Amino acid sequence: MMQPGRTSVIACATVLEEITPLLPEGMTCVELDFGLHLKPANLKQVLQEAIDKASEDADTVLLGYGLCSMAVVGLTATNCTLVVPKVDDCIAIFMGSRQAYSAQSGAEPGTYYLTKGWIEVSDTIWDEYQKLVERHGEPRAQRMMRLMLKNYTRLAYIDTGHRDQDHYRDYARMVADAFQLRYEEVQGSNRMVEKLLKGPWDDEFVVAEPGQTISYADFQTTNRIAGNSFGITPAPSTSQT
Amino acid sequence: MSQELIDAITEMREDDVVAITNQLLDQGVAPTDILMSCKQAMDVIGKRFEEGDAFIPELILAGEMMTSVTDILKPRMAEEATSDKLGKIVIGTVQGDIHDIAKDIVAFMLDLNGFDVTDLGVDVPPEKFVQTVQETGATIVGLSGFLTLAFDPMKDTVTAFKAAGLDDVKIMIGGGQIDENIRQYTGADAYGRDAMAAVDLAKGWV
Ligand code: B12
Repeated sequence: MMQPGRTSVIACATVLEEITPLLPEGMTCVELDFGLHLKPANLKQVLQEAIDKASEDADTVLLGYGLCSMAVVGLTATNCTLVVPKVDDCIAIFMGSRQAYSAQSGAEPGTYYLTKGWIEVSDTIWDEYQKLVERHGEPRAQRMMRLMLKNYTRLAYIDTGHRDQDHYRDYARMVADAFQLRYEEVQGSNRMVEKLLKGPWDDEFVVAEPGQTISYADFQTTNRIAGNSFGITPAPSTSQT
Repeated sequence: MSQELIDAITEMREDDVVAITNQLLDQGVAPTDILMSCKQAMDVIGKRFEEGDAFIPELILAGEMMTSVTDILKPRMAEEATSDKLGKIVIGTVQGDIHDIAKDIVAFMLDLNGFDVTDLGVDVPPEKFVQTVQETGATIVGLSGFLTLAFDPMKDTVTAFKAAGLDDVKIMIGGGQIDENIRQYTGADAYGRDAMAAVDLAKGWV
């Protein structure tokens, strides 16, 4: 039985943006610096420290992260049960499932995704471009960005259903225009966030019991298999609401 | 070593880089000396990048400048060099992934170190790798990928080579957080942390 008061959520600002509106009363949440995602090794360390700290007061820790470039692999559920969505990165969380993300990226790999959260924390290609303009002037900054995005064809804004979207839509459209990308909107969903917060933690989640360590294999299998090649003991994949 | 060239590269003055390179050649400076200056400049930019002081697009432009310099030098070096190529390599970013900055650097370093490199670009399906190896007779394949979503396509590519009976082709993988676990998962022969590792692996296989 999950008790909101004994449960803590750890997420970065972008994902938190989607979590806060659905946060059950009494559940605490910890925000981690979004910039960490660019340095997976640092992210891993900061995440483990946050888990250790949260487990002092919580029985269950929910991570608002995906594999995030392997940053969650090797994390240990210190004195708590650790629950992580079985997705590659936060884009799948915004889209509502791993399948939805695969379908989108399979259809057009050259897609750069934007959400309200990403825009809010100022970590978009537009922000990067601004910094380059400051350093090198506009023409050279343009040239650098064009080189970086040469294989990209589409900018997809993920509509996660916030009320005040217009401002962010306009922004996304402006970025698409600036870098000659086709602008499209993709329907987001809070399905994954809701399931993370309220369960059931079925095979769309990795559930590590106290003392267990998360492995890459956990993200591959639909059901955790005993004694897999990564040497990790499995946790039951039954729902625990 | 030409400080002028090093400065032009580290200050991202693209046009000057080309002009200075031509000037140096006219003055009779050896292409290998010019390359040494380039390497020095890349070390400076690489260090800045590690320290969080350079942005990715700057890294890409630096790569572009390196390419324009070597494009100028290559015909001259070919005149001097009698050396046969060490071996043939096919490289690309795997299906579903289009991060290519690192792949370009790896391809460039392999080329510089005497390999005949066919670069298939990004989002390359397994069959394309197999087909190209069959056409070129390459003995080594390099797969790059940054997304965790890319690990399965890497595995599929390794499987496709086995299925085509090309068991002798050596496959190396790299990019982002790829490590020994992922190597095992994909069934590749080796993984490399950086472009120099790619060169060392390839040299060990020819
Ligand atoms: C630059 C970058 C981009 C650029 C790519 C530009 C380009 N033309 O490649 C842009 C901004 C466009 C981009 C887009 C996206 N990205 Co991106 N990106 C990065 C970033 C910051 C750096 C990667 C890089 O190029 N590094 C520079 C290279 C030179 O460094 P390096 O790794 O040391 O390189 C060496 C080794 O890798 C090795 N190597 C590489 N290949 C090979 C091959 C062989 C055979 C060998 C031996 C060695 C080897 O040698 C290299 C040279 O020494 C990473 C984060 C990070 N820090 O890794 C995220 C990252 C990879 N991206 C990520 C994501 C999620 C995306 C997007 C989906 C984001 C979005 N909002 O849409 C898109 C979609 C991309 C797609 N479908 O492929 C995630 C991936 C998470 C995951 N799923 O695993 C990362 C980890 C960031 C994060 N944590 O959120 N990205």
